[in-house]
Amino acid sequence: MAKVLEGPGMGLLRKWGISTPNYVVVTSNEEFEQLSKVNDWLQKNKLVVKAHEALGSRFKLGLVKVGLDLAAAKSAVKEMLGKQLESVTIREVIVSEAIGHKEEYYASVKSTREGVDVMVTTYGGVEVEDNWEKVQKLAIEIGETPTDAQLAKLSKDAGFSGDTATKMADFLKKLYTCFDNEDAQYVEINPVVQNAGGDLVALDAVTLLDGDAKFRHKDWTFPFAAEFGRAYTANEEEVMAVDAKVKGSVKLIEIPGGNIAMLPAGGGASVYYSDAVVARGGKLANYAEYSGDPPDWAVEVLTEKICSLPDIKHIIVGGAIANFTDVKKTFGGIINAFRKAKGEGKLKGVKIWVRRGGPNELQGLAAMRALEDEGFDIHVFDRTTPLTDIVDMAMAAQ
Amino acid sequence: MSILATKDTHVVIQGGVAGVNAARRMAEFRYMNKQPLNVSAFVYPPDSGKTNEIVCGTELVAIPIYKTVADATAAHPEINTSLVYIGANRAYEGTMDALNDSKIKTVSMITEGVPEKDAKLLGKHARKLGKTFNGPSSIGVVSAGECRLGVIGGAFDNLVACKLYRPGSFGVITKSGGLSNEIIWICSQFADGITTAIGIGGDAYPGTDYVSYLEMFENDPQTHAVVVVGEMGGDLEESAAEWYGAKKRRIKLLAVVSGFCQESLPKGMKFGHAGAKEGLKGEGSARAKSEALKKAGAIVPETFGALGPAIKATHEELLKSGTVKPIPDLAPAAVPRLPKTVAEAKKDGEVLVAPLIRSTISDDRGEEPLYQGYPASELINAGYDIPHVIGLLWDNRLVSKQEAEIIKRILMLSADHGPCVSGAMATVLAACAGIGLSQSVAAGMIMIGPRFGGAVTDAGNWFKYAIDNKLTVDDFLVYMKKNVGPVPGIGHRVKSLKNPDKRVKELVGHVKSLGIKTPHLDFALAVEQVTAAKKDNLILNVDGTMAAVLVDIGFPVDSLNGFFILARTIGIIGHWTDQKRQGSRLIRLFDYLVNYASPKRRAVPPLK
Repeated sequence: MAKVLEGPGMGLLRKWGISTPNYVVVTSNEEFEQLSKVNDWLQKNKLVVKAHEALGSRFKLGLVKVGLDLAAAKSAVKEMLGKQLESVTIREVIVSEAIGHKEEYYASVKSTREGVDVMVTTYGGVEVEDNWEKVQKLAIEIGETPTDAQLAKLSKDAGFSGDTATKMADFLKKLYTCFDNEDAQYVEINPVVQNAGGDLVALDAVTLLDGDAKFRHKDWTFPFAAEFGRAYTANEEEVMAVDAKVKGSVKLIEIPGGNIAMLPAGGGASVYYSDAVVARGGKLANYAEYSGDPPDWAVEVLTEKICSLPDIKHIIVGGAIANFTDVKKTFGGIINAFRKAKGEGKLKGVKIWVRRGGPNELQGLAAMRALEDEGFDIHVFDRTTPLTDIVDMAMAAQ
Repeated sequence: MSILATKDTHVVIQGGVAGVNAARRMAEFRYMNKQPLNVSAFVYPPDSGKTNEIVCGTELVAIPIYKTVADATAAHPEINTSLVYIGANRAYEGTMDALNDSKIKTVSMITEGVPEKDAKLLGKHARKLGKTFNGPSSIGVVSAGECRLGVIGGAFDNLVACKLYRPGSFGVITKSGGLSNEIIWICSQFADGITTAIGIGGDAYPGTDYVSYLEMFENDPQTHAVVVVGEMGGDLEESAAEWYGAKKRRIKLLAVVSGFCQESLPKGMKFGHAGAKEGLKGEGSARAKSEALKKAGAIVPETFGALGPAIKATHEELLKSGTVKPIPDLAPAAVPRLPKTVAEAKKDGEVLVAPLIRSTISDDRGEEPLYQGYPASELINAGYDIPHVIGLLWDNRLVSKQEAEIIKRILMLSADHGPCVSGAMATVLAACAGIGLSQSVAAGMIMIGPRFGGAVTDAGNWFKYAIDNKLTVDDFLVYMKKNVGPVPGIGHRVKSLKNPDKRVKELVGHVKSLGIKTPHLDFALAVEQVTAAKKDNLILNVDGTMAAVLVDIGFPVDSLNGFFILARTIGIIGHWTDQKRQGSRLIRLFDYLVNYASPKRRAVPPLK
C-alpha cells in the first residue's frame, strides 16, 4: 500500500477526466508569488490552503485554512512553510480554489478479495460516518467492468435523481476507470460537490496505490507518503532506501516513547513478537523486520538504527526457523552493528535477547553467544526455546 | 496421504537461478525419502535448449530447460504442477501460461511484490478452471515423506529434525514462510509431525484461502488436526471460522492470529506482511478473528508460545482416543543423511584420498602463501629479497646474503639484450600483430633453446661433469669433441678476446672478489684459455659464466636455464609494453630481405 498526497492524487483524477478544483503545490513563498501572477483563478476565487504533508488531523493542527483571499492565502502559505511539528517539517503547501456548493456527496472505490466495491451516498462530508448504512455498494468482480446500467442504478439507489443521477453515474464510471488503470487500492472522494454550473467536482481525495505496480506506471514520479499520520523519519527513510536496493527486505518503523527495541526476522514472526511485548505490558520502541536472506550489510544498517533508539532497555533479536535466510550471515551484520554501537558508548544497560533457527544456525548462535565475552549483556537461545519466550524473559528481567 | 503436493506430483519450475536453487532443495528432500527427483523441466527462455545440473544425492541429474510451458509439458507429459520463480513484472504472464496448460493442475508462486490486481486476476482464472493457484509470496508446500514444492522446510538438517521423512497427523496453513517452518518444527516436537504444510503467502489477496485447504485436509484421512497461523487483515480467518463452525468436522482446528499489538499502536500504523492491514472500519482485527475462530470451536491459544502445548494436548487426545498411533522414532543409524562432499568428509576425518600431485616447495592453504614454510609477508618484513625467494622455491633453501647478491647480479645482467635477439624479436613481432601480453611473452620464451639463452643448463652440466670426474682441461675438450660437440657456454656470435663481453667480466670480477671457492668458474676460465687461443671468439660467454657460478654456489643443474628465463622475462615484458605504448602497427619482412630460392613460375600439371 502506498499513500499518495492530495496533489498527485488530484493529478491522477484529472488524468482520467474527473473535475477537481484548480490547485497548486508550492514549496516556497517566491514560487507562490510567481504562480499568483499568472493564474487568474488564484486572484478571483476564495482559496483553501493546506499543509501538503502526510499528517493526520490537519484541521486540529491549524494546517487547513479556508475562505481566504489571495493576500490571506499568501500569509497562510508563509506561516505554514517551514513549520516544525515534532519530527516533521512542512515542506509543501497545497493551495486550491474553494468551490461554493450546497450538497456534499461521497464516492469511493475499494479493492476487495473478489474484485472492487464501488460505493456512493448522498450523505457526504462529515455526515458519512454517521450514515454508513446508507452507503450503496456495487461489487464488481475482478476482470469485469461496471456497466452504465449498473452505475445508473447504483446512483439512483443512493438517492440521486434527475440530471445529478446521470452525472454521478458518469462520475463513478470515471472514478472506476481511474482506479482500475492506476492500480489503485482505495480511492475515496469526500466530498463530491456540484459547482455553480451543476458539474460534479472532487473536492478532496484519499488515494492509495499499489506500490508493487510501480514498474508499469512510468508517470508515478511522486513519492509515496507514510500512512500513519506522520512523515517518515530520517532513519526510516534510510532503511527504506536500503530495502529498495537489496534482495530480501529490511523494514523499520519508529515508535516514540517505547523502551523495548525489536529486531526480529520475518514478516510473520515479527508481528507475533510485537504482540508478545504488548501482551506482557511492554512498550514497543519500534517495529522492524528483515527477511528473504538480505545481505549482511543491510541487516547491519537496520541494527545500527535500532541501537540508536533512545532510552531502550531490551533488544529482541527474535526469529522463527528460517527456510533460506542464512542465520550466520545475517547475524554477522547484527554483530557488526552491535560492536560499533558499543564502541560509540551505546547499549549501556541494554539487555539483548536472541532466539533463532535456520540455515547455519549453530554458527550464527555461537557467534552471538561469544559476544558475552566482549561484555555484552546478551542471552542466546536456539530453536528448542519457544518463539516468544525471550520476550517473557526480557519482561521478567525488567 | 497428503494434499496438494504428493508422491504423484511432477514439477516444472518457471524461472532462473532461484528456481534452480529450489530444485536443489527439492532434490535433497526426495533424496531423504529415497525417491527420484520430481522436477521434470525448467522454463527459462534465455537458457532454453540447455540443461540445469541438479545434485541428487551422489549424482548430478541434467534437467532440460524449455522456452515455454507448453514445450515442457509436451516433452514431459507427467508434469502436473508449476512452481513460479519469475520476477514480479513478468510473473502474471508466466503464471497464466501455466494455468492455461491443460496438464497443469496446481501453480505455486514464490514471487514477491506482485501487483494485487494481477494476483486477483490469476486467482479468479484458476478458480474458473478448477485449478489451484497458491501464492504469490508463497514459501511453498511440503508433504512429509512425499514431496516438497519450493524451499519450505529449509536446510536438510532441519528437514530431518522436523521428521519430514514420514507423515504425522497435523496439517499446517500459514501466510508466513518463517512461521510455516516454525510450526512444522513444533508439530514434530510436541506431536507426531505434519502431513502437509502450506504457505499461502502474506499478500493481501492470496490466490487461495484457508477454506479450500481445510476442505482438502478434511478429506485426507491421514490428517487429524490442522494448525492455522493467521494475521490481522482480510477475512480468510473469518471464513475459516465460518467453515469450521458450519457443521461437525472430522479434523480439529487450532489457530493463532497475530496483530493484537495493533490495539496499542498509533492509529494507522501497521506491521508485517502486505496483507496484514486492518479494514478501514476496524474489521479484520486480530481480536475479531480470534473470537470468531473460538466461537466456531477452534482451539485458539492466547499467545503463539502457547501453541506448542495446545498441539501437544491435541495429539495426546488423538492418541488416547486411538485415532492415531504413536510413531516410534528412527534408530540413529536409520536417520537420513545427505552424502558428504569429499571436502566435508576429509574435514571430518572420514576419508583417505590418494593425492594426485606432491609439492615440496609451497603451501597455499592458509591466509597467505608459505614458501618452504615461511610466510611471504614475514620474509619481506625480515628483509629478505627476490633471490631468497628463488632459493626457497628452486632449491628448497635460504641462500646467504653473498649468494643472494650473486643471483641478483645475474638477473640484472641478463634482464635484456635489446630488440634484435631471437626472444625479444619474436615478442616485438607478436606485439605488432596485436597479440596479448602472455601470448607475446610466450612467443619470446619459445625462442629460448640450444642457440639462444638455453645453454646455461647444458654448460653447467658439462662443467660439473668435468669437476666431478676430475678431468683436466685437455681431457675435457677431447671428451667433448668426441662425445658432445662444441662446448656449451663457450663461443660468441660477435664478442671475442679483443672485444670481450663486459657482462662476463663484471660477473667474474665480483665473484672472484668474494674469496669463495669457485672450482667450476676456475675450470671454465681455464677452458676459455685453451679455446680462445685456437679461435678468437671461442670465449666463455655469459651463459657459461652464469652456469659455472651458479653450480659453484650450489644450484641444481636442472634449475640453471631458469635464471635466464626469469631474467629475460623482465626484458621481454618491457618490449611488449614498449610496442603497445607506441601503438605499433603490423610489421612484415621486406621481400628484399629474402632470398627467393624456390622454383620460378611454371605450368601446373594435370591432377593425376
